[in-house]
Amino acid sequence: MADWGRMAPVDRYAWACRWRSYHPMEKTVLAAGLLVVALVLPPAGSAAPVMMAAFAATVIGAGVPVRAFLSVLAMPAGFLLAGLPALAVSIDTAAAFPLVITAEGLRQAVLVSARALAAMSCLALLILTTPVTDLVRLARSAGLPVAIADLAFLIHRLIFVFLERAEAGHHAQAARLGYVSFRASVRSLGMLGGGLLLRSLDRGRRLNYGLAARGYDGELRVLAPIMPVSCSRLAWAFVMIAGVALLSWEVGR
Amino acid sequence: MTGSGHDQAAPIMEVVGLEHTYSGEVQALAGLTLTVPRGARLAVLGANGCGKTTLFLHMNGSLRPSGGRVELEGRPVGYGRRELRDWRGRVGLVLQDPDDQVFAATVAEDVSFGPLNLGLDEAAVRVRVAEGLAALGIADLAERPTHMLSHGQKRRVALAGVLAMRPQVLLLDEPTAGLDVRGSEALLAALERLNAAGTTLVFSTHDIDLAYGWADQVAVLDRGRCLRQGPADRVLADGALLERAGLRAPLLLDLALACRRAGMLGAGTLGEADPLPRTGAALCAILEKGLVHV
Repeated sequence: MADWGRMAPVDRYAWACRWRSYHPMEKTVLAAGLLVVALVLPPAGSAAPVMMAAFAATVIGAGVPVRAFLSVLAMPAGFLLAGLPALAVSIDTAAAFPLVITAEGLRQAVLVSARALAAMSCLALLILTTPVTDLVRLARSAGLPVAIADLAFLIHRLIFVFLERAEAGHHAQAARLGYVSFRASVRSLGMLGGGLLLRSLDRGRRLNYGLAARGYDGELRVLAPIMPVSCSRLAWAFVMIAGVALLSWEVGR
Repeated sequence: MTGSGHDQAAPIMEVVGLEHTYSGEVQALAGLTLTVPRGARLAVLGANGCGKTTLFLHMNGSLRPSGGRVELEGRPVGYGRRELRDWRGRVGLVLQDPDDQVFAATVAEDVSFGPLNLGLDEAAVRVRVAEGLAALGIADLAERPTHMLSHGQKRRVALAGVLAMRPQVLLLDEPTAGLDVRGSEALLAALERLNAAGTTLVFSTHDIDLAYGWADQVAVLDRGRCLRQGPADRVLADGALLERAGLRAPLLLDLALACRRAGMLGAGTLGEADPLPRTGAALCAILEKGLVHV
């Protein structure tokens, strides 16, 4: 029924993409630059160029499948669609029916959604090309306290272990007819949650043994791979951002 | 006891009268005594819940005993920060579930964790990482993310991470459990190379045939005590002892003893004191020869 493992494919694409070995800073600069363009310039002009640039960088540049890019955008797009009526509708007490849809309201709603989607595609560019662990490392080198970075690291690692357990537990329950009815489902999910909590606590204790056995003394030190920052790639990122900004400006006028 | 640290005949590790009670009054170890000879391949046998894992956690300083002591090279170990670091550098522990041990983003990063904690410099750590990966034949996995490995691969990464610390004693909790035939053969081959190079191996297992065929010493545990320790062929021929510990005799040993009773082995040309075959191939050779004579 549920495929829990699917919750994590974003990271999978990041590990497999052509930009995997590029320094996370380069990719962050590109994504952040495009994001700034989307947020600062009027969305009428900027939304389409930003989205196209993020799409091109992710799919053509990094070689991430089109499907992956679209699926990352699908969820926020769904939320935007659900919120669209609320944005488009305005209250007019003078009218016979107080809720009206004006042309201006509709335009506003579409522009807000376009801007949000453009911003989301910048984020999609970043997360589909940069593994979470690289981002944590970048944040750490930018001054994030070691303890918090280590915690983020471990949480990220354990999410996958947890999802595996949750999926196995779910299958085991389903095999014993734990989800035949609504009543049974509620009961089974509760038991699964409780069981997973206890097992997670136990796992935490054992991970502590496992790390201590290798000399863990309060800081998770590993030899980070050497990823030199490429000036030419950084320059290209700036060129792309500038180009998109210029185009957005022209289109928006 | 003292001053014999460099004596080759002295045991590298000893566990004396170890007691441990988990909260909730479950007594996991009840006065366990065990000797680890230098360079041995010691198999720790016993039913589920006999205290194997708890024993290993004690032998590496992860747990502190409520009674008894652990000795390393004839000296009782200390539990201070520095002493633990030295201890864990010399005695490596590989847990049964690699997810309890492997945490870093990529395989190479994970293997670098232990050597870095030993205080080695970067160049030395890189050598250790390459060495650990090569020992298990997983150099090609170096840049792979750890959460996308198969179970067998993760097991090898966990072991490589401990090997990279170059421990003198390697504690392995159920090293072959859950591995396929190829996987466990590759693992045993790697362990054999380590053992030949001087690493002392202590491993727990449920696979009594593996213990008989592969270990030179076995220790049989039951309810937190060591019932008997000695050469594999002698201890595992003690039917009453195995019965008490909830184990069965190795198939190979049963067959070899049957051969001896049938006169194929030990009688006539070979003599009663002949060693029993320890591998399937050796037994087959005896059977084929015996069948010709019968």
